[in-house]
Amino acid sequence: MFTKKKLLIVLTLSLLTFVVTSPAVAAKPNEYDLIVRHLQTKYQAKKVHIPFMWLARFAVKVVRPAGFKSFNVTLFEDLKFSCDKLDLEMQEAMKNSFSPEWGSILHVRSREGQQVYMYMRDAGSNIKLTVVTIDKEQAAIIRATFDADKLAEFINNPRIFGISLDDEKTDNKTIVKPKDDGTTQEKKDS
Amino acid sequence: MRSLKFILFLALALTPMAVAAQNARLHFEKLNGLETKARDVVEVNIEGNLLAMAKRVLAKINDQDAKKVAQAISGLQGIYVRSYNFEKEDEYNVADVDEIRNQLKAPGWEKLANVRSKKNNQKVDVYTMFQGDKMSGVAVVVSEAKSIAVVNVIGPIDIDLLMELSGKLNIPRIDIETDKKDKKDH
Repeated sequence: MFTKKKLLIVLTLSLLTFVVTSPAVAAKPNEYDLIVRHLQTKYQAKKVHIPFMWLARFAVKVVRPAGFKSFNVTLFEDLKFSCDKLDLEMQEAMKNSFSPEWGSILHVRSREGQQVYMYMRDAGSNIKLTVVTIDKEQAAIIRATFDADKLAEFINNPRIFGISLDDEKTDNKTIVKPKDDGTTQEKKDS
Repeated sequence: MRSLKFILFLALALTPMAVAAQNARLHFEKLNGLETKARDVVEVNIEGNLLAMAKRVLAKINDQDAKKVAQAISGLQGIYVRSYNFEKEDEYNVADVDEIRNQLKAPGWEKLANVRSKKNNQKVDVYTMFQGDKMSGVAVVVSEAKSIAVVNVIGPIDIDLLMELSGKLNIPRIDIETDKKDKKDH
C-alpha cells in the first residue's frame, strides 16, 4: 500500500514537473525575446519599468480596440554602442531573429545612431507587427497583433464600447440631438 | 523519364515568365556607395502577402486618399523605396546615382519623362517598362541637392496616381512646378 502511494506521489510529481517545465523547454524564444536579449547583452541596455503595463495589456486583450488583440512594449535606456558598428550589428541581429515569414517593411538608419526597423507578417486574418527603434541611448521594442479588417472598420467608425471617438460625428450628435428632440416635440404639438 | 521531360518542359516554359516578372526590379545593392555617405537612409519594401493585405484594408476605408492609394496599388506586386539624405549639398557623386540609371538603360526600360525643377535643384526621371502592351514596372529617380530617392514599382500603375502618392507610403514628395504664366499666354 505504502509503495503504491509513494509511486502515485512520484508519478504526480513527475507529471507536474513535465507540465510546468515542458512549455518553457519546448517554446523557442520568439523574435521579440531575441531582440530584447540582443539589446541587453550586446549593448548592456537597461529595461525601463512601465507602470501598469500588465493592466494595459489585459485591457487590450479584453476590449480589442481598433482590432488590436495583443501588444507588448519594452523600453530600454543607457545603450552602449559604437555608431559605426550599430547598423551592421543590428542588421545581423534582425536577420537572425526574424524567420523568413516576416517581411521587412521599413528600415531607417542614421549616422548618429538612430535606427528604426518595422517587420510584419500575416497570420491568418491577423497581422503581426514588430517595431524596433533605437534613438541614441534609448530603445523601444513594440509588438502587436491586430485584425486588419477590424482596424479598417475602426478607421471608418472609431468606436470603443459604443462610444464614438470621431470628433466630427460626436459634434454632429450634440447639435443634432436637441434638434431631433425639438422636431418630435413639434410634431406632438401639432 | 516522361515525368522528367515534363518537369524540364515546365521549367523551361516558366523561366521566361519568372524572368519577365523580375525584370522591372532594380538592384538597390548597387547603391551601397550612397549608403556610406548619407546622413540617413530609408528603405521601404512592400510586397507579397502584406501588399495583398494593404490592398484589402485600404479598399475598405472610407477615405478619398485611401481609395486612391488602393486603386493605385491594386495591380502591383511590389513597391520599393530607397531614400538617402545628406548633410551638405552635393555630398554625393553623380556616379553613385548612375549605377541606377545604368540599370534603367537595359532593354525594356523607357524614359517617360525627365523634369527639372528650380526648386531645390530637383531632377525627376520617370522610367517605365512594358511587357507587350502591359506595364510591368515603373522607376522614378528623384535627385535634389541634399537627397536622392529611388522608387521602384513592380506591376502596372497609373503615373498620375503615382505622383499623387508622393508624400505617402514614404514615397518622397515630388514637387513639380508648372509654369502658369505660359499656360495663360497660350
